[in-house]
Amino acid sequence: MIAFVVRRFLLGLFTVWLISVASFTIIQLPPGDFVDAYIAQLAASGSPVSATEADMLRKLYGLGQPMYVQYGKWISRVVTGDFGESMEWRRPVTEVIGDRIWLTLLLSFAALLITWGLALPIGIYSAVRQYSFGDYAFTLLGFVGIAVPNFLLALIIMYFSFKLFGANVGGLFSSEMTIQPWSWAKAWDLAKHLPLPAVILALAGTAQLIRIMRANLLDELRKPYVVTARAKGLSETRVILKYPVRAALNPFASNIAYLFPFLVSGSVIISIVLGLPTVGPLLVKALVAQDMFLAGTIVLLLGVMTVVGTFISDLVLMWVDPRIRHQMD
Amino acid sequence: MAAPSDSERYAVATQWQLTWWRFRRHKLAMVSLVVVVLFYLLAVSADFLATSDPHETDARTSYIAPQPIHLFDDGAFRPYTYGLKGVRDVKTFKLIYTLDTSRKVYVEFFARGYRYSFLGIETDLHLLGLKDAGKGDGIHLLGTDLLGRDLWSRLMVATRVSLTIGLVGVSISLFLGVLLGGVSAIYGGWVDTVIQRGIEVVRSMPTIPLWLGLAAALPNDWSVTQIYFAITIIISLLAWTDLARVVRGKFLSLREEEFVMAAELAGAGQTRIIFHHMLPSFASHIIAAVSLALPAMIISETSLSFLGLGLRPPAISWGILLQDAQNIQTLALAPWLLFSAVPVILVILAFNFLGDGLRDAADPYG
Amino acid sequence: MSTRRRFMAAASAMAAVSASSARALAQAVNNTSQFSASGLVGTLQGPTQSAAIPKTFQEAPQLAALVKAGKLPPVEQRLPSEPMVLQPLESVGRYGGTWRRAFIGPSDGENGNRIMASDKLLFWDYTGSKIVPCVAKAYELSKDGKTTTLFLRKGMKWGDGSPFTADDFVFWYEDMYLNKDIVPSPIAEMSAGGKQGRLVKIDETTVQFQFDNPYFLFPSMLAGDTLIGGGQSVRQSGGNSYGAYAPAHYLKQFMPKYSSEAAVNKLAKDAGYATWVRMLHVKKDWQLNPELPTLGPWRTVKPINTPTWAMERNPYYYTVDTAGNQLPYIDNVVMTLAEDIEVINLRAMAGEYDLQERHIDLSKLPVILENRDRGKYDVHLDLAYNGADTALHINMGHTADPLVGKLLRTADFRRALALGIDRDQMNETFWLGLGTPGSTAPAEAMPESPGPEWRKKWSVLDIKQANAMLDSLGLTKKDGDGYRLRPDNGQRLVIQLLAIKAFMDWPKHAEMIAQHWRKIGIYGDVKEAERGLAFQKIAAGEHHMLVWTNGGTELLYLYPSWALPVDVSQGAYGLDYAKWYASNGALGKKPEDPLLLEALEKLRAAAGMQEAERNKNAQEIWKIMVDQQFHIGTVGQSPALMGVRLASRRLANIPGRACIAQHCRTPGSSHPETWFYKS
Repeated sequence: MIAFVVRRFLLGLFTVWLISVASFTIIQLPPGDFVDAYIAQLAASGSPVSATEADMLRKLYGLGQPMYVQYGKWISRVVTGDFGESMEWRRPVTEVIGDRIWLTLLLSFAALLITWGLALPIGIYSAVRQYSFGDYAFTLLGFVGIAVPNFLLALIIMYFSFKLFGANVGGLFSSEMTIQPWSWAKAWDLAKHLPLPAVILALAGTAQLIRIMRANLLDELRKPYVVTARAKGLSETRVILKYPVRAALNPFASNIAYLFPFLVSGSVIISIVLGLPTVGPLLVKALVAQDMFLAGTIVLLLGVMTVVGTFISDLVLMWVDPRIRHQMD
Repeated sequence: MAAPSDSERYAVATQWQLTWWRFRRHKLAMVSLVVVVLFYLLAVSADFLATSDPHETDARTSYIAPQPIHLFDDGAFRPYTYGLKGVRDVKTFKLIYTLDTSRKVYVEFFARGYRYSFLGIETDLHLLGLKDAGKGDGIHLLGTDLLGRDLWSRLMVATRVSLTIGLVGVSISLFLGVLLGGVSAIYGGWVDTVIQRGIEVVRSMPTIPLWLGLAAALPNDWSVTQIYFAITIIISLLAWTDLARVVRGKFLSLREEEFVMAAELAGAGQTRIIFHHMLPSFASHIIAAVSLALPAMIISETSLSFLGLGLRPPAISWGILLQDAQNIQTLALAPWLLFSAVPVILVILAFNFLGDGLRDAADPYG
Repeated sequence: MSTRRRFMAAASAMAAVSASSARALAQAVNNTSQFSASGLVGTLQGPTQSAAIPKTFQEAPQLAALVKAGKLPPVEQRLPSEPMVLQPLESVGRYGGTWRRAFIGPSDGENGNRIMASDKLLFWDYTGSKIVPCVAKAYELSKDGKTTTLFLRKGMKWGDGSPFTADDFVFWYEDMYLNKDIVPSPIAEMSAGGKQGRLVKIDETTVQFQFDNPYFLFPSMLAGDTLIGGGQSVRQSGGNSYGAYAPAHYLKQFMPKYSSEAAVNKLAKDAGYATWVRMLHVKKDWQLNPELPTLGPWRTVKPINTPTWAMERNPYYYTVDTAGNQLPYIDNVVMTLAEDIEVINLRAMAGEYDLQERHIDLSKLPVILENRDRGKYDVHLDLAYNGADTALHINMGHTADPLVGKLLRTADFRRALALGIDRDQMNETFWLGLGTPGSTAPAEAMPESPGPEWRKKWSVLDIKQANAMLDSLGLTKKDGDGYRLRPDNGQRLVIQLLAIKAFMDWPKHAEMIAQHWRKIGIYGDVKEAERGLAFQKIAAGEHHMLVWTNGGTELLYLYPSWALPVDVSQGAYGLDYAKWYASNGALGKKPEDPLLLEALEKLRAAAGMQEAERNKNAQEIWKIMVDQQFHIGTVGQSPALMGVRLASRRLANIPGRACIAQHCRTPGSSHPETWFYKS
C-alpha cells in the first residue's frame, strides 16, 4: 500500500511538472508580449513609449530570449519559492494573489456549503421519491440552474436586487469598509455581501450534484442488501440513511479534487460581472495583459490544488472503501 | 403463425429495438427528442423563417419592444401590424414609440425579402413579410436591439450557428474520446498510463487560461468561418476527456463479458471484436454521453463570447446575442433582448433530459 | 520689471486671443436647443485664480491638531510666500469628507493623475483656452522665442516639508533626463528645429528652458499634458521619467551617482527588485510609493496596486482659497476597484460614488437619469471639442496587400468611404443624439477650427456620389451580394475595420459602418481585437483602418498623434511615415503623398510661429486633412468620453459644465481641491 501511495505521489509530481510546462506554453501562445500590451495601455492614456524604451523594458523582463530559456529561468525560481514580480501590478506575485486568495477560498467555501446543503437533501428526496411531482420539480429547477448562462443570471440578479430592494451592488465590501482594518463591523459587511455571489456560484454546481446523488442512490437502493434491510422491518429512514446514502457519497469524495479549480474557473465570469475581488478576474486580466509570472503562478496553483486534491481523495477513498484498498494491494 | 407474445418479442428484439422501447417509456425524454428535432429543423430553415435581414441596422427601429401581429382585420383573417413612430424624449433620452393606428401594414406569407442561399439555391423567399412596407416598417415579433436589428431574425440565424457548433464540436470530441479511450483500454500498460496522465493534466488545467491562450493565438485576419471552426475545435479539445473515460471504462468491463470471450474463442480478430461486438453494445452509452456533452459545448460557446473570445460580430450566435444583452441598459430599457436566453435554456434542458432517457434506456435488461 | 508685472504681460498677450474663444466656446453649446431642453448641459464654469493673497491662513482641523501637537509646522510656514489663490466657483467651502470614486485596476493611473493635475508647471483655466500659472507663478517667453523662463513660488514645499526649488529641475534634467539608463531617448517636446534644448537654473526660484531655434509653442507644451509639461504625477509614473522636475532630496538615495552602482543595486536586490532602475521606476511613482514627496492636493496612502487606491490631503499643498483656507477641502479620496464597467455604472447609480465621470457609459444615460433621486446625484453633460469620438484612422502606409494599400492611399477612395456613412443614424443610436455628426475637424469654437464648412466636407451621406467615385476608380464589377470585386484577382474587395472595445463600444460602431457600406458595395470586415493585440497589429502596419477617437486633436500641435503620422508609438497612419517624421528623415519612409508631406511640414514649422500665425497654420493643416480624408470622422463634440458626470448632491462648487479635453486634464481644470461636502 505504501508503494501505491509513493507511486501516486510521484505521478502527482510528474503531473504538476506537465501542468507547469503546459501553462507556460499557453501563456506564451498569443503573439506579442507584456511590453506590447503595456505600450498599448500607455498609448491609450496618452503616454507614448519609444521603441528604444520598449527594448529596454523587454531586456529588463528577459522577454527577448527563447521560450525554453524563459521557462527554465522561471521554474528554477519557482522551485525556490520566488514567483517573481507581477509586471502589471508591479508587486511580488505572492502578494497580489495573497490579497485575494482568502476571499476566493471564503467565497468558494460558502458556495460549496450552499451547493451541498441544497444538493444532498434534494438528491436523496428525488431518489427515494423517484418520478414523484417533487422529483420532477426539483430536477427541472436544478437543470434550469445549469441551463441559464450564469453571467446573465448574475447581472440580472444584481440589477434587480438593486432596483427592487436597494441591495448592495457587487463587490464583497461597501466602499467605506474597504479601507478599514478588520473588525466586527467589516466582517458583518462581508457577511452581508457574501450570500448573493455565493448563491449564484452555487446554482450551477447544485444541479450537477443533485443528479449524481440521485443516480448513485438509485443504484444503491436497488441492491439486495437494501431489500433485505427492508424485509427485516427496518424503518425507511434508517434503511436509506444507514448505508445507501453513505455508499452513494463515495463518488463525491473523488469529485472534491476538481471542485476547487472548478469553483475558481467557474467563478471567473461571475466574479467579473459582480465585481468581486477574487483570483478569477485577476487571472483573466493577467492573461489578457500577458502578465506571465502572475498568470503562470495562478494556473500552476490551481493545477497543484487539483493534483493534491486527487491525491487526497485517493487516500480518503482507500480509507473509506475497503474494496479499493484491496485492489491496490 | 400466431403473433409473438411480448416476452417472445423481447427475446428476439435487436439491441436497438430494446433501447428504443425502453426510451419511449421516458416521457420527458420523448418530449425532449421532439424539441431537439424541432430546433434542428428550425436551424436548417433559419433564413426562411427570418422576417428581416438580421444584419440590417436602422436608427429608426432601435429598441422597439415586441410587436404583436394582429390576425383579424374587420373579421377576416388578414394579419397586419401597425406603423410605429419613434421620438427621443428630450428629458429622459429614451426612445418612445407610439403606434400609428391609422396605418395598417399587412403581413404577407411566402414573401420576398433579403437574399440568402438554401442548400446551394439562391432565393429570397421568406415565410413572413410585409406588403408595401415603408421605411422603418417591419415585423418585430421579439422586438429589436440597439442597432435596430430584428431579434427574431437574429435568433433564427444564431440558432443555426450555435447548434452546428455544438454538433461539430461533439463529433470531434467523440472521435478523440473513442479513439484515445479505446486505445487506452485495449493496449493498457504504458499507453494507458500516458493517456490517463494526459487526461488528468487536461482536467487539472483551469479552462479559462486554456481558452484565452488558444483563442488569442488565432490569427486576426481569419474570416468568420475560419474562426468558427477554430473555436469549435478549441472547445472540443477540452471536452473529450469525459468521453474517453466513459469509453475506456466500458471497454474494460466489456472485455470480461462472455460474448466477447465467445467471439475470441471463435477466432474473431481484434478489429472485428471491437467493431462488431463491443462498439454496438455500448453505442447507446456513447450517444447518451454525447447528448450530455452538447449542452456543455453550447455553454462554453456563450462563455467564450462573453469573454470577448469566441465568435465575434458580425457573426451571430447565441453567445453573441447573450453578450449583447449583458448590460444594464438592456435590463432597464430593452428587457425583451433577454429572450435570447430562452432557446439556449430550452435546448440545454432538452439535451439533458434526452441524455438521461438514453442512459436509462441503454441498459435494456437493467 | 517685477515678477508680477512680467507675468501680467505674458498672460495678457495670451488672453487677447483666448478670451474671445472662451466666450465662443460657452455660446456654441447654449444655443443648441436639443441640449438646453434636457437641462443637463450647463454653462462652462469653474474656479478662477485671484491675484490678491489673503492676509491670514487657516487649515483643516486635523492638521491644526498636528500643529498643536508639534508634529507639523504652522500653516504659514508650510505655504509658499505667494501661494496659488483660487476663487472657488460658488463659495468658500468647509473641510472634511471622503470622495468615493471607482477605478479599474493598476492600469487606470490616469484616474488619479488627472485629480493631481495641479502639479503641472502651467495649466489651462476652466475654459481650456487660456494658459494660467500653476506650480510656476509666472512664465516669460523671450521675444525671439528661444527661451522660456519659469518663476517658481518662493518657500514652496514638497509634501514631506522639504523645499521645492530650481535644484529639483536641474536634478530632473541632468540626473534623470540625460541619463540613458532612465530615459533612453530624448523627447521631441524638448527640441526646436530638430535640436535639443537645455534646462538651466538661473537662481533658487528661476529656471530657464533654452533652445537654439524659436519655440513659441513651448508655453503651450508646458501647459498641456505633454511629456515635458504633464507634471510629476502623470509623467513620472508607469515607468516614465519625464516632466520637468523631481524630488531630488528623496530620489538621490536610489541613484548610483550619489553612492555607487553596487550600493544601489544591493539596495534594489534587498527590496526585491531586479535592478536599481526597476526600483527607481517604483520609487518615483506616486501611484505606487506612498513615501514619495509630491506637490498635488492629495497624496497616496494605499497604492494603486491594491484593491483600494486611497489618498489623503497633502499638508504642504501650495494653494489656498480667497479666504486663506489651505486646500483641498476634502480630506480623503478613496477609489475602489471594480473591473467591470457595468458594476461601476450600477454602483454610481446606487450613489456609491460621489463624483464620477470616468468609466461612465453614455448609452446608459436614460437609466442613470432614472435613478438620480435614488442615488442622490446630479447629472451634467460636458461636451468635448474634438471632431470625432469615433474616427476611422486610415493606414496610408499599408503594404501587406498592395491593392488595398493603393486604394487606401487614394483620396477619392477615402472620400467615397466617408460619403457612405450615415452619421445621423450613428449619432442617434450610439450618442442618443447628443453628438455632432461631421468630419474630424475640431469644434468651430476652437481657434484652430478651419470653419463650419469643413465639418461637413465629404462628411454627409451621399450614396450616389460615393458609388460614382468608386466606379470611376475602376471598381465596377460586383458579386452576387452587390459587393465590389478587386480588379486584380476578381475576389471580393474586403476593407478591414480594426476595432477595440475601450472607451466606447467601437466594434459595434464599426458593425454599423460596415452595414452602411453595403450600399456602396464595400465589404467592411469588422476585426474586434483586445487592445494590446490591436496596437501590436498597428505597429506591424497590418491594419487597414482603426476605429478610435481623435480626442486631443482639437489642439493639433499638442496632440497630433491621432491626426498625422508623427508618433512611433501612437496613431495608425503608417509606422514608417511616423519614423520618418520623428527622426527628421533619418529613418523610416518619406510619405509619397505630396499633401500628406505638406501637412507634416506645416506641423513641424509650427513650433517657431507666433500664436496667430500658428492658428492659421493649423487651419491650413485641417483643410488638407479633411479634404484628403486622412481620417474619416463620424460623430464628435459629445459627452461620450468622460463627459457624463455624476455628482453627489452633497457636493458644492461643482461646475455646471466642465472642459473635457486632454489638455484640461478632466476633471483637473475644475480643481477638485475646491469641491466640498455641504454637510
